Amino acid sequence: MDVVIRRRGAFVCRSCTQILQRQLRRAYSSTAAQPDVYDVVCVGGGPAGLSLLTALRANPVTAHLRIALVEAQDLAKIKSWNLPQNRFSNRCSSLTPSSVQFLDGIGAWKHLERDRVQAYQEMQVWDGVTGARIEFDWAPGSAPTTGTTIAYMNENLNLTSGLLKRIDELGGVSVFDKARVESIAYGEETEELDLREWPVVHLSGGKQLAARLLVGADGANSPVRSFAGIEARGWDYNRHGVVATLEMEGEGWGGEQAKIAYQRFLPTGPVAMLPLPGNYSTLVWSTTPSNASLLKSLSTKDFIAMVNAAFRLSPTDLQYMHTQDSGQADEYSWRLEHTPFDNRAVPQTVVGVQEGTVASFPLKLRHADTYIAERIALVGDAAHTIHPLAGQGLNQGQGDVQSLAKTIEYAVSHGQDIGVTMSLEPYVSERYAANHLLLGVCDKLHKLYSVGRGPLVPLRSVGLNAVNALGPLKTFFMNQAAGNGIKVF
Amino acid sequence: MRPPLRRVPVALRTARVIPHSPTAAPWLQPPSQRLSTTTSIRHTSSSTSHSPASASVNETEISHFSALASSWWDPHGPSRPLHLMNPLRHDFIQSCLASSPSSPSSVPHNNTTDGLRYLDVGCGGGIFAESAARLPSTASVTAIDPSPIILAVARAHAKRDPALVATRGGQEGKKSLTYLSETIESLPLPPNPVDRFDVVSVFEVVEHVDYPAAFLDRVGEFVRPGGWLVLSTIARTWTSWLTTNLVAEDLLGVVPKGTHDWHKYINEDELRAYFAAKDGGRWGVPRVMGVVYVPGLGWKEVKGSEKVGNYFLGVQRIG
Repeated sequence: MDVVIRRRGAFVCRSCTQILQRQLRRAYSSTAAQPDVYDVVCVGGGPAGLSLLTALRANPVTAHLRIALVEAQDLAKIKSWNLPQNRFSNRCSSLTPSSVQFLDGIGAWKHLERDRVQAYQEMQVWDGVTGARIEFDWAPGSAPTTGTTIAYMNENLNLTSGLLKRIDELGGVSVFDKARVESIAYGEETEELDLREWPVVHLSGGKQLAARLLVGADGANSPVRSFAGIEARGWDYNRHGVVATLEMEGEGWGGEQAKIAYQRFLPTGPVAMLPLPGNYSTLVWSTTPSNASLLKSLSTKDFIAMVNAAFRLSPTDLQYMHTQDSGQADEYSWRLEHTPFDNRAVPQTVVGVQEGTVASFPLKLRHADTYIAERIALVGDAAHTIHPLAGQGLNQGQGDVQSLAKTIEYAVSHGQDIGVTMSLEPYVSERYAANHLLLGVCDKLHKLYSVGRGPLVPLRSVGLNAVNALGPLKTFFMNQAAGNGIKVF
Repeated sequence: MRPPLRRVPVALRTARVIPHSPTAAPWLQPPSQRLSTTTSIRHTSSSTSHSPASASVNETEISHFSALASSWWDPHGPSRPLHLMNPLRHDFIQSCLASSPSSPSSVPHNNTTDGLRYLDVGCGGGIFAESAARLPSTASVTAIDPSPIILAVARAHAKRDPALVATRGGQEGKKSLTYLSETIESLPLPPNPVDRFDVVSVFEVVEHVDYPAAFLDRVGEFVRPGGWLVLSTIARTWTSWLTTNLVAEDLLGVVPKGTHDWHKYINEDELRAYFAAKDGGRWGVPRVMGVVYVPGLGWKEVKGSEKVGNYFLGVQRIG
């Protein structure tokens, strides 16, 4: 906090606040609680919120801003998050090289446990109905200069823990964790000050935080978004994402240096297996809610059989195995003998699943009508929720944060009030269309591959085979996946 | 109420400007001469009300801007182009300060605190004054405007920002932003030159005053040696008549009707000549930046556009 105090010309320096407090107390001596005045109040301590605050604190232009973080969970626990080398959390995200570059630029990347992060260099995507296949590996000369890594698989907790360590190192953020947002309301007018257009966050325990800019990084059901009266439109896919941490028979067909991500489009939704360090992989299986609850109810042996089947057996076989209450392991080994497939074209065999890692969550698409209102900005899931099939959710949030931090920096360096829509407009114009396009593409992909029969099926195979045959187009798709191609949007 | 001149045909309006030689633009003439050449057309009602103490103030202009007071801070209101231009003002000032080997901080001055002291002349609702007061490099901003109605808007708006209400660095008494209902003629001039201002800004004002030369003479006195006088205005060309009067006011309506009197526009070379002749070489060579408003994109710097439309001009007081 010393840094905050010593810097002259802070938007709201501590001494100013103290004077204001005194003035306010004089004016309303009977009122018990008066709001603390902050430049930025961020509700939500997930990857998006923490990255934003880290970016603001790490930048000398915005480092003097008075910043508060509100989070329901115990952040000390997340910061000290620690798992043995052979245990992995089931909530992992794919980080694109551009997200990693951003995290490195704000000094957070070095605080992650790097030996728990797995880069992958190849993607295998195929159609479960027709077998049409696209192999995403870098053709000679087509790899971007940044390296051959398509993306990095990383546990979300590794990221949030690293960000919290970086924020600790930078200092200057007032953290209100284990705190519930009781309500958000507008401030009051006193003789000296008119806060009638400033949102005031009321916390459990009576604390009040007045925000020049209130950032909603508070997830898909964002209370900040509700307060701002911004609608989030979209639909539920009637699908659940089943996740698990898997133990594989080996490091992968390409060994440690050439890790491969796999995704197979099944009529019920895509099933993806993404590499973690060593013999481990993480599963994201989008499927119907009833299939999801069956998968969660199976014994470890039967669950492993179902995952192996999902990448090898025909959709008809899989459909049948989902009707069994148990005994999938026997069913799988019998049916596998009668199914021809290229062993090297599918993931290595799953041999184990880590205890307590099988879980599921409903999939939905949501997009807020706008990301800003007077003294409000939304980032990450509060602004948009995407189908996980392209692994872009967390990266979209990082893109938002990078853009918003840049917008705030410009406003501060030009004396603008960072909370007014005039200052925030560049953030929306930079991010809204790009996010909307990606949301739409992933939505269309999901719907296209949800069709089990009919004229669309041969057409989409032609599409995948054609893409596979056309080098430049494939390179374009890979650049998109690696986050290099955002300029195209 | 709009000046009657705006209804005069274009040919007549231009005819009254062009005959003067380039080195002696009409506005450079002293008030007495200027009155005799233009007042008969331009200010039939208000010309007699001018007193020496408020030579720069035009009652018609004041009432025009007072009528806009309530919408001054509406980001989608008539002042939107001004809001969008504001960041460029800071960019321009920064480029001026960075250009001088003897930046204001290295020249002796009487600042008790570090940072720049600004005087914003014709501050209106305070778009620039507020933003200058928020900059970490600012010690204080004094902002003046002759319209009490607009100043009431400016004061009410500043009250919404704790950073502008609070005193700087916790010092008692000295606020970072002070609004005064003054004209440049009525504002007391600090007797000691080093107590004067680091930056005196006159944004979108000179095209609204009747006697710009007399006005700028007075404004210039408030700049301390080593400080900068920074202004922005519009060149008097066919292009600027088309864009600011016909298109912006009459066709698109992005600027309220009657805001601009094209006849009062001042060309960049006229200002250069003015500063070159002024005070016996105590002013440096002006820096100029031309800007163009692109609907939907905002203001963009366009090299050379100072000859045809909106431009910034900054000049350092050397001695």
